[in-house]
Amino acid sequence: MSENATPKPLLEVKDLAITFSTPDGPVHAVRDANFTVMPGETVAIVGESGSGKSTSALAAIGLLAGNGRVSAGQILFDGEDIANASEKRFVELRGNHIGMVPQDPMSNLNPVWKIGFQVKETLKANGLAGDNPKKRVAQVLADAGLPNPEARANQYPHEFSGGMRQRALIAIGLACRPRLLIADEPTSALDVTVQQQILDHLDTMTSELGTAVLLITHDLGLAAERAEKVVVMYKGRVVEYGPALEILRNPKHPYTQRLINSAPSLSAARGDKHEAIVEETSPAKAEPLLSVSNLTKVFDIRKGFGKKEKFTAVDNVSFEIPKGTTTAVVGESGSGKSTIAQMVLNLLDSTSGEITFDGQQIGNLSEKQLFKYRRRVQPIFQDPYGSLDPMYSIYRTIEEPLRIHGIGNSASRQKKVKELLDQVSMPAATMHRFPNELSGGQRQRIAIARALALQPEMIVCDEAVSALDVLVQAQVLELLDELQRDMGLTYLFITHDLAVVRQIADNVCVMERGKIVEQGSVDDIFDAPKSDYTRNLLAAIPGATLI
Amino acid sequence: MLSFTLKRIAQLIPVFIGATLLVYFLVFATPGDPIAALSGGKPMTPATEAALRAQYNLDQPFWIQYGLYLKNLVTFDLGMSFSGQPVADLLGRAFPVTARLAILALLIEGVFGIIFGVIAGMRKGKFFDSTILVASLIVIAVPTFVLGFVLQFVIGVKLEWAKPTVSGAGTWSELILPAMVLGLVSLAYVIRLTRTSVIENKSADYVRTATAKGLSRNRVVRVHVLRNSLIPVVTFLGADLGSLMGGAIVTEGIFNVPGVGNLLYRAILKGETPTVVAVVGVLVIVFVIANLIVDMLYALLDPRIRYA
Repeated sequence: MSENATPKPLLEVKDLAITFSTPDGPVHAVRDANFTVMPGETVAIVGESGSGKSTSALAAIGLLAGNGRVSAGQILFDGEDIANASEKRFVELRGNHIGMVPQDPMSNLNPVWKIGFQVKETLKANGLAGDNPKKRVAQVLADAGLPNPEARANQYPHEFSGGMRQRALIAIGLACRPRLLIADEPTSALDVTVQQQILDHLDTMTSELGTAVLLITHDLGLAAERAEKVVVMYKGRVVEYGPALEILRNPKHPYTQRLINSAPSLSAARGDKHEAIVEETSPAKAEPLLSVSNLTKVFDIRKGFGKKEKFTAVDNVSFEIPKGTTTAVVGESGSGKSTIAQMVLNLLDSTSGEITFDGQQIGNLSEKQLFKYRRRVQPIFQDPYGSLDPMYSIYRTIEEPLRIHGIGNSASRQKKVKELLDQVSMPAATMHRFPNELSGGQRQRIAIARALALQPEMIVCDEAVSALDVLVQAQVLELLDELQRDMGLTYLFITHDLAVVRQIADNVCVMERGKIVEQGSVDDIFDAPKSDYTRNLLAAIPGATLI
Repeated sequence: MLSFTLKRIAQLIPVFIGATLLVYFLVFATPGDPIAALSGGKPMTPATEAALRAQYNLDQPFWIQYGLYLKNLVTFDLGMSFSGQPVADLLGRAFPVTARLAILALLIEGVFGIIFGVIAGMRKGKFFDSTILVASLIVIAVPTFVLGFVLQFVIGVKLEWAKPTVSGAGTWSELILPAMVLGLVSLAYVIRLTRTSVIENKSADYVRTATAKGLSRNRVVRVHVLRNSLIPVVTFLGADLGSLMGGAIVTEGIFNVPGVGNLLYRAILKGETPTVVAVVGVLVIVFVIANLIVDMLYALLDPRIRYA
């Protein structure tokens, strides 16, 4: 870049408009989008789902869904307008000029072909396989940070962890040394520490190769940390565009301001916390509502030929949750946090140890007692798409627990459902609709209303906000907070996201491989973490060092 | 994989005994006297009748009859038909004809079904797709005997492209027309199954990623859509092989094919227990083996499936 006084932009998006034709008429997904990517530069597009950020990037590689098309404007790649280029031209460009790292590592590798095959065909299609394709494949995989690449190339995707798959996808995206890499939420499906490793690696590789990166993310903190320029998109329009740190520190558009205020990663760094809870609950040396002591869960893993192996998912875990407070259990995937939630909900038997709820051991409840227990402890699960029955209307979903527990008659139940919907700020008319007609955030509100129906004393939130966009996440967290204040609810909050913990929890247990490595009040954990593991987790929160 | 295969083959024994016992009992319990049927209702001396009953063990109680049958089976003696021919010979003549017919039918439905299904799936909503959907619906809706007679009349009698009926030998070329009729209904199902599967897979994330790698459209379809789409189709074809081998009584009847279906039909009418049970026994084995092959193809197509 330095030789040239005014370097030519690599990608220039000018007045871009993208339209999808649907049975209900055209949908304008992107309007008047303008931004530029210089050679070797990283530009992040930030926005919530449906903001048009992925659509804009996919148009640059000719991968719009079948009913979408560029309806106006230009996409200049190295001076050539490719907005409506032929399929043939795109086949030439893809791979060696424009590469892509997709979002979800679980679904983006073909499950029936070996990793090596999938890398090799990329090289072959772009004429870069060379005389010894096997060696090239191993090299490419090694460059992406996969240990033992020769053996790994011979494995299938299902034999890889999520992080390893994402490395394989990065290897594929960069295999043909493209000049532009489109990275579509490349790490949002991964744990924070893995995310950090992978993004670091991606940074190193792209700067070595001089590759420009178009990074698509919903996380402003991550964007600011990784990119030189940030494009903020909202409802199909670019609302703010400029140098990353400037936007983060001095956001001009109200949407960007909201985004920054509700980004958990950023507020965690600022130490924001809802004062109300702190005041109400910190002096309370209340009775523990739930106490877990020496809880252990061992699974048998089948190894083929009748061999079994023991796997300790939860290892001698003890903690207490005082009434009316929130305790967060934090850890990476596989740390055993969800297993604890399942045992507390009595959906899974423990191998040893005790769970006591309100003075009563729940391990040996009779069927009748268990039924009563279920009424007092309710879950909210991660995936609002999977946890609501698509065949049940919202009314039926919320009413079902009332009916099962024989509460009220049909008129009083209807009234109750209306009240519950009101509590979670949903209009009463919602009850005649079905889950597929609602957004993710709305569905999670319904799941909360369903959990509240039986007036439980404790709610177990298993990654209850992880699937939601930041703004929606902030709203749902606020709702949970309000409900706690109004009804004195107790929360067991399972999450992988330390940033969210700071917003909601009073006490924290940090888990690693089945063991609690550290526990204490939220301020202790954040301000004076004792274990290295906690320190690593905190450091991996993107954008943490920027404010 | 080996232990899985052996386990499945060992399962054959109880399945075989269960199926033959059931069929033996059903034929035993069917009203009507096989000896009367044998004599064609003509009067018979009690001595002759008793001799015949003894010859076919019909004078024994059910359990003894079945036990004797199993005992003979171990020595590969399938018994005699009422016309005095060894059942093994009858099966030996009918089975190859049906096998040829089934293989031809399977080829027709597999090859054309997958090709048409993939094209229709890739061009969802276009002219070819709509035409194929309507055509397959018609084929599914029209009964086999109508389809059979129409094709026999048009292709066999009017156009004289193929012989309208099959000789005793049942050669490959004679069997093409009946195989078409036999495979046509399954062909329609294979097309629809492949089409749905292709439509589902072509919008998968890994297909988009494959395109993003710079692969040609042709290669994306061949390597990434096709193999993944074939898994449900293979299951259907395997199960269908079993029922095709069972002999299509209707189709074999129309074209006068001397196959298993014909043999079974005549034996049931006559109450000829040894023949019925032998045919069913062989079919049970064919079914179990066809399913085993499907399971193995499954593992071959999808590496996530591993048998232990």
